[in-house]
Amino acid sequence: MSEGGLGKGAVLLYAITGVITLFLLVPLLFPIALSFSDTPFVTFPPQGFTLQWYWKVINEPDFTTPFLFSVQLGLLSALCALLLGTPTAMGLVRYNFPGRGVIQGLVLSPLVFPMLVTGIALLRLFTSINSHSSLTNLVIGHTLVTVPYVIRTVSASLLLIDPSTEDAARTLGAGRWQTFWRVTRPQIVPGLFAGGIFAFVTSFDNYAISMWLADAENFPMPMAMFALISRMFDPGIAAIASLMILMSIVIVVVLERLTGLQRAMSV
Amino acid sequence: MAAVDAMPVPAPRGRMMLSGSRALGATLLLAPAVLFFLVVFIIPVGLMIRYSFYQQTTTGDLTATATLANYVRLASVDLYRTVVLTTLRVSLWTTVISLLLAYPLALVMVRGNALVGRALTVIVLAPLLINVVVRTYAWRVILANGDNGVLNWTLAHFGLGPVQILYTEWAIVIGSVHVFLPMMVLPLSAALGKINPSVEEAARTLGASSFDVFRRVTFPLSIPGLAVGCTLVFSLTASSFVTPALLGGNFAKMLGTLVEEQIMTVFDWPFGATIATLLTVIVMAVNLASVWLIERRFPSRASEGH
Repeated sequence: MSEGGLGKGAVLLYAITGVITLFLLVPLLFPIALSFSDTPFVTFPPQGFTLQWYWKVINEPDFTTPFLFSVQLGLLSALCALLLGTPTAMGLVRYNFPGRGVIQGLVLSPLVFPMLVTGIALLRLFTSINSHSSLTNLVIGHTLVTVPYVIRTVSASLLLIDPSTEDAARTLGAGRWQTFWRVTRPQIVPGLFAGGIFAFVTSFDNYAISMWLADAENFPMPMAMFALISRMFDPGIAAIASLMILMSIVIVVVLERLTGLQRAMSV
Repeated sequence: MAAVDAMPVPAPRGRMMLSGSRALGATLLLAPAVLFFLVVFIIPVGLMIRYSFYQQTTTGDLTATATLANYVRLASVDLYRTVVLTTLRVSLWTTVISLLLAYPLALVMVRGNALVGRALTVIVLAPLLINVVVRTYAWRVILANGDNGVLNWTLAHFGLGPVQILYTEWAIVIGSVHVFLPMMVLPLSAALGKINPSVEEAARTLGASSFDVFRRVTFPLSIPGLAVGCTLVFSLTASSFVTPALLGGNFAKMLGTLVEEQIMTVFDWPFGATIATLLTVIVMAVNLASVWLIERRFPSRASEGH
């Protein structure tokens, strides 16, 4: 549609939008600018130019250990979310029965329920049953809040394929598992992929669940960064922030190339 | 990206009653998730709410009888009441400011030049993939009190300032708007996109000015998206931890920071559970109010809310 769709105020509207866009993007540039500063403290304006802070943080166990832990946690959670979410999506898309709406509401509810409270409830549960393995607790918590994304992306993929191909396979004598693996799975790869990436990113960025379940040996990246903010005063912290922003940009580009960002985020 | 709207999965046609073999199939597929959600979500939340009606003795055990003492304490102690009011005030301001910023953005995304719209969509969505701690850290750099903050450095150049914004409610509002604005823009642009342009065209043909078209046609039809966006932004702000902790510090506490302190530092589980229950009630109340508003104004669209 042309600018005509905006009426007479188009120019004003574009100007306002430009300012808001700056508000969204410019703040993210400051940590990047400060990360190159050749000063012992984070200070604005940055002075000189150095890459020493990047060198410092990639050799800093306070950064690398939590980073690698979060990668591990994200991969485990994404795997569990795919294993749990894929059959759930198939059940919801392929069958209609009384109570279907209730089950659907149940499995999508972590998206609207305050996540902080979910985390507290999980900590209460794990304390009561003496489950002290932080990694297991974190994987369970992260699976709970990432599985809705998998259910949504896989459901969207399932709706695009013709169920009669599955019926045909069953009629020809294929079992349930064979039908899924040979007929359904190859057709929903984009949904599985988008769901997996989403689950990983959601887990990697999660704070509201991790803050209750983590311990000193199992300390995810966002919490490490939070702790470093009040402890690290040199531009190393800005370098960490810049590396995280860079990682997000890579993910945005991958998702945009893969399915289009808008479709991947199901809006 | 904590909560994009909970879009329902469309139901398949017919087959309301399942035959034996199909019922088995559905059970096999859905039972694991239902069991998982019951054990690690529904039951724990229920137990946590139950906890809020008991008190902790000095030995760490719970008292035998249920009581409302924790709720009375939350409502009567000045310190806690301040935290509740701060939470509501910050969430309300964040929602209002997000709404004002999101409207022009969503209008341009939906009605503007196609290329600009696509670029805006990426600009709005991309920050959702950047960690909230990183985004909040950026605001600490900008708002830092003293002369090495970006804002105060800039103001000094114009002979103004310095201002003290970090560790106030306004710092939390600014940071929260930045973090949650996409949650307002997305449902709003979805609602605007659904408006049939010929409805607005008709109003214009009948002599309505641009402003009248907006006030009498576009705006009322965008209310379902607005309601969903406001619900999301309000709920997410009210139950946030990172932004109030890093930008409000000890001087502007919200329920999220208070509950963390009560459980992780004071170990007062029942009182922590009480605060968490209050947070749940606030979020649920906002959600119900939003559903009610959408149902009242748009009976046919009620199912699109949540």
